Amino acid sequence: MSTDDTSNDESDTTADASVSRREFVAAVGGMGAVSLSTSATMSGLDLSSLWEDDPQHYVGTDYGDYEAGDVLYTTCGQCNTFCPIKVRLADDSGNGEYASLIRKLAGNPYSFLNTQPFSQVPYGSDPEDVVTGDLEGTGDVDADRWSLSGGRMCLKGQAGIQTAFDAYRVRKPMKRVGERGSEEWRTISWEQAIEEIVEGVDGEHVSHDGLREMYGYAPQGEVMDDWEAVQNGEMDESAFDEKYEGKLVDTDHPDLGPKANQIVDVGGFRRNFIRTRLWKQGLGSINSHHHAGTCGFSSVLGNVRSYGAGKKRQYSDIENTEYLIVWGTNPMVANKGPTWLAPKLTNAIQDGMRMDVIDPRMSKTAEKAEKWVPVDPGSDAALALGMARWIIEHNRHDLAYLRNPDSEAAEADDEPTWSDATHLVAVDEDAQPKARAGDLGLDGEGYVVVDAETAEVRPASEVDRGALDVDIRIDGDRYRSAWSLYRERVFEHTLEEYADMAGVSADDIAELADEFTSHGKRAAILSYRGPAKHSNGFQNTRAIATLQHLIGNYDWQGGQITPYAGYDTMNGRYELGTVPEGKSPWGLPILRAGTNYEDTSLFDRDDGYPAERPWFPVAPPHQVQELYASAGHEFEAGGERRKGYPYSIEALFIRPYSENHVMAASGGDKIPEAMTDTDAISLLVAFDTVIGETSKYADYVLPEPTYLGRWENFGTYPNKRLADEKISHPTVDVVPDARPAEDVLIDIWKEMDFPGVGEDAIPDAEGELWPLHQAEDFYLKLVTNLAYATKDHPAADADIEGISLPGDATLDDLGEGPVPDADDEELAVFRQAHEKGLGDRFDYDRWKQAVRNEEWRKAVTVLNRGGRFEEPVVNYEEAFAEHGHDYDYVDRYEPSNGYVDGKMRYKLASRVNFYSEVPPQGKDAYSGERFDGLPGVEDVTHFDGSVEVPIVSDGEPDRPLHLINWKPRTQGMHRTTNSPWLRETRPENPLWINPVDAGERGIDNGDAIEIDAGRRSVEGTAMVTEGIRPGVVGAMWGWGRDGDGATETVIDGETRQPAGDDGHTPYEFDEPMTDDAGIAGPRDAGFAINHLQPLDNDLGDIGMSDPVGGSNAQYDAFVEVRRRD
Amino acid sequence: MAATASDGAGPDVAFTRARAAVYELLASAFDGDIETLAEAMADGSFHELASVLPVAVEVDPLVADDPDPEALSIGYDNLFVVPGPHYVPPFASAHADEPSHEFESDSAFHEAGSAGELYGDPAARMARRYERLGFTPERGDGIPDHVAAQLSFLSTLAAARADADDAAGDALQEIERETLAAMGWLDAFDEAVAGQDRAEGVFAALSRLTRTIVAWDAKRARGEDDTNPQRRRHESATKTTRIRNEDETQPDGFDRR
Repeated sequence: MSTDDTSNDESDTTADASVSRREFVAAVGGMGAVSLSTSATMSGLDLSSLWEDDPQHYVGTDYGDYEAGDVLYTTCGQCNTFCPIKVRLADDSGNGEYASLIRKLAGNPYSFLNTQPFSQVPYGSDPEDVVTGDLEGTGDVDADRWSLSGGRMCLKGQAGIQTAFDAYRVRKPMKRVGERGSEEWRTISWEQAIEEIVEGVDGEHVSHDGLREMYGYAPQGEVMDDWEAVQNGEMDESAFDEKYEGKLVDTDHPDLGPKANQIVDVGGFRRNFIRTRLWKQGLGSINSHHHAGTCGFSSVLGNVRSYGAGKKRQYSDIENTEYLIVWGTNPMVANKGPTWLAPKLTNAIQDGMRMDVIDPRMSKTAEKAEKWVPVDPGSDAALALGMARWIIEHNRHDLAYLRNPDSEAAEADDEPTWSDATHLVAVDEDAQPKARAGDLGLDGEGYVVVDAETAEVRPASEVDRGALDVDIRIDGDRYRSAWSLYRERVFEHTLEEYADMAGVSADDIAELADEFTSHGKRAAILSYRGPAKHSNGFQNTRAIATLQHLIGNYDWQGGQITPYAGYDTMNGRYELGTVPEGKSPWGLPILRAGTNYEDTSLFDRDDGYPAERPWFPVAPPHQVQELYASAGHEFEAGGERRKGYPYSIEALFIRPYSENHVMAASGGDKIPEAMTDTDAISLLVAFDTVIGETSKYADYVLPEPTYLGRWENFGTYPNKRLADEKISHPTVDVVPDARPAEDVLIDIWKEMDFPGVGEDAIPDAEGELWPLHQAEDFYLKLVTNLAYATKDHPAADADIEGISLPGDATLDDLGEGPVPDADDEELAVFRQAHEKGLGDRFDYDRWKQAVRNEEWRKAVTVLNRGGRFEEPVVNYEEAFAEHGHDYDYVDRYEPSNGYVDGKMRYKLASRVNFYSEVPPQGKDAYSGERFDGLPGVEDVTHFDGSVEVPIVSDGEPDRPLHLINWKPRTQGMHRTTNSPWLRETRPENPLWINPVDAGERGIDNGDAIEIDAGRRSVEGTAMVTEGIRPGVVGAMWGWGRDGDGATETVIDGETRQPAGDDGHTPYEFDEPMTDDAGIAGPRDAGFAINHLQPLDNDLGDIGMSDPVGGSNAQYDAFVEVRRRD
Repeated sequence: MAATASDGAGPDVAFTRARAAVYELLASAFDGDIETLAEAMADGSFHELASVLPVAVEVDPLVADDPDPEALSIGYDNLFVVPGPHYVPPFASAHADEPSHEFESDSAFHEAGSAGELYGDPAARMARRYERLGFTPERGDGIPDHVAAQLSFLSTLAAARADADDAAGDALQEIERETLAAMGWLDAFDEAVAGQDRAEGVFAALSRLTRTIVAWDAKRARGEDDTNPQRRRHESATKTTRIRNEDETQPDGFDRR
């Protein structure tokens, strides 16, 4: 109705201003001096802008000018994406406590990883121009309110300031008072710490041998020759015992290796330095392990076994993909997501890419999907093989691709990769290896196929087209093609059976398979931990990987990509992996990997199968979840009561910043039982930034700088078109007494006179030897190798059509030489920024001394940019000045540094395996049965074969709800929960539950609940949402802490209280799905998801593990949920 | 009666046009348009206007049969144009409590770290609003937070709202509310003018009248925001089009008499 005919005065008056509108209008109408005739058209306002974001919305107004001397580029360590970042240094703290504060962290604009969807600044750009936003092509701050002077960074990364400046940082070396885990400490000097570690101590609370007493080593060749002599009766056993007493773990079982193996490193990163140099060659210990077992190990190995060349991950060339299946991973949030993949994905979707997401819950990625397929956890192989069945039944696989038996045939067919589909497998043999030409009397050692033209059995390399379905006998032995084995496996179940196992409809499987095979090579799968973190994870991953073999999408633009594109860092100017007179590690790893149980001397001693604990015969030794309980494992064998399987640990060095296993392993709540057992682990040393859940059980906690204060060369990832290499270097000095683990270990190694440190430790390319006294001696040489690394371009001498290069560049210009020298100004900037950030800790001349004078300027160029980042196209600087940051160089030029002729420049270029002959070489340590060379559907089982999650069998779990978990958007690892900024965004981890399940239990959103996992119950909060599959519940991990400032600690007799609530606004209960929380809860908020995981039925001291892939099973608990009144 | 957007606090075309006209009048007066000021003084416009306001405003100095344009012009220049003993800067930045971090002030009447600068944060914020809507202030000597420029913008916004559809009207209402909220500085301005314009009192009265009208209108705008169900629906449906209120705080400086 019109307001003109309003008759009610009440409605014509504002509620609380007693002016009648009518009177006002009348009064104005009577004013001669004013006109009522203006209108919107006359006003000239542009109303269309009302529908756009305020262009100034993202621009803060509180900023100050700064210069290149206020900035250092390094790498973020808040999660394992390891983004290149920019540290904007602030002035000092005023009280002299810190050399510098950090004003802000941002992305590094030199890196393509942090400038998506734009292009990075050219590598040669002057750092001063870049930080001031004055570089041509990067946007003008005054006009655009934006420039490329800083790159993208996620919220976790920004909170790195709170990691570095956490009040709960360890400030001095500390030695425990009371029992392990008593959380009482006293500070000691570095000298005392090193002295006690090396020489031992016999004190009231801490009493242990030193490394000098523990250590022993003898070379494998010498030992095993003597052992053979003993077996042959040529040497007395007592003589052997006497000779090797103190040198071998057990002279009755020399295959366990030297006593050095009982000195164990669990660290994760800084592998090049600590594992390669110090542990393996310096010490001769085989036991240096990283985090893989508590991470995506089964996914990595499932992929590794699916390809002839190293391919560990599944990623697509997102910019050119038409159809993407995201399978059990959440790239908007994790898996190198936030800064790198998230913008790529959203832009690709905007550009028309279809994305479907397979995940039991509606993740941030699934929210953006065309279709969300909530698969039943652990049944991914059923879904994958169901898709494979549909594809094969509908002839949607790429037959021509599958028939290419080798590289030459593939090349002729314009395919960068080929499959083993036509390769023959010797199915009559025990381990069912692939047949080799030599074995069949043919020339060479390559694989063998049946020639599709002649039906002859021939070496694969000599055949243009192989026969796919082969089942033949040669000299009486049966051989089948990998394809016929795979096809038979796929057809073991009907589509409906697969659908039933996966808990999805057959129509959904058909739709996924149809869509996946409707885009030629431009369809791909991005997959990671979801399918893999079960004890059947290896098989789930294999089933998913092989789907892509069916379309042969590898190395194609828009297909599946593999570029581990990096630069050489360990070789070139300096041979950093070489230790003069270094030892060779040997023997059985404490994690029992790489060897079959039955092939060791323990098999007889322990009465054959089943073994005491799991073995991982076809995986490298990184099943760290098994480490602690193995050391504490008590059993009887050979008439003796024993501790330690296969042996106990004399000294354990942990770096829990990236290896907080008490929190990170399923069943990690049981780990302290072994850690507090001084017979299992005699000496326990933790290098840590805080006293975490794992380091608190140590005898000594040694303070380390955070990632913002030390060196690192974090690995690169195979999800990018261009090469890069990231360098971390010290940027701020926060805890004056903190020392990097490298420096401390160098001191210890020197005391022990181990090779690889001290004088004459590192050979250069000319054979001259250089000293290693501190971390810089190693890392600056690594930086120099990187600076001098060169790259050839495959198109430089190729016959390419449609060449289009920027400016007057030619094919001869392709490729890369060493980086340019830093000029005097850059040297000054380098010095100024490091002096500002590190204060007295920075010794310019000492750093410079680590490399040759003539190399220094190139090293500075790399450090001034935080690493090396390949440019998208040759002659980039000129192109960038013309087109700026918002231009798709990689796609617009031919060839670019990303693509050549419609294919990826960095290729897998290898065989892909339907059948892997590696798993059948391994045997399950419980049953003695061989592992499967084909992907298949399996139950999730315990070590003894009992079923935890029935997939193919019909069991009924003890409790009805399947508990899964995921990485939160707001936390990197457990290492970030200290940050109040991050805890404010999500103070705790509510349990997602479907309305169907919640309704049955009378649970409403926000209700207090009890989660009963059988062996343990915890309290939590319900989040009722249709974003999780009925029958499945789940929560974020990272909560429920009792370390890192979450609990009371006593240091030097003084009690330190835990961190309490922190934040800005009055706290209201954090009701899930509302965003009104404005305060960070305490550090111990929420519940620890891994402590609800089931313990292995047979072991009882840790969660289940995948015996093939090695992952710890982390998505396999069953719970009941009850409302708490 | 069915509830519509125009019930109670909703925009009413005639009322909105009337507000546009009043703001235009006040804008011209503060822009030194002596002819229009004199005309309005002579025809009793200010008296009419004051008579419908909820609080009494002394407008006698603004009512005159035959005002002297020259005297008015000199008075205006002394107060608002010529820096001197009686000068009162007619722009918000000069009365802001916090100095700007964004602009280097070149004002001679401003000491570092204190209020009183030219082209400070309030000017920047107003300039962004103008830029967003393609509005080029013709009043206020090119100073974006000049009282005449701000009043003129309010007039234009009201005129545009009168003709806009619901959705555009809601968005304009938001900007209007923000702009009104950003005019709390008129309290300080009014007090300064009252202290300087003791002799004639024309501009002191004009300033008091303007301050009262803006405060009354700001209150109306806040009420409109709270009670309009259509607006709330629209707001949640088109979150991305919301404009952040850069002034953040409510106009606490307004005298709520």
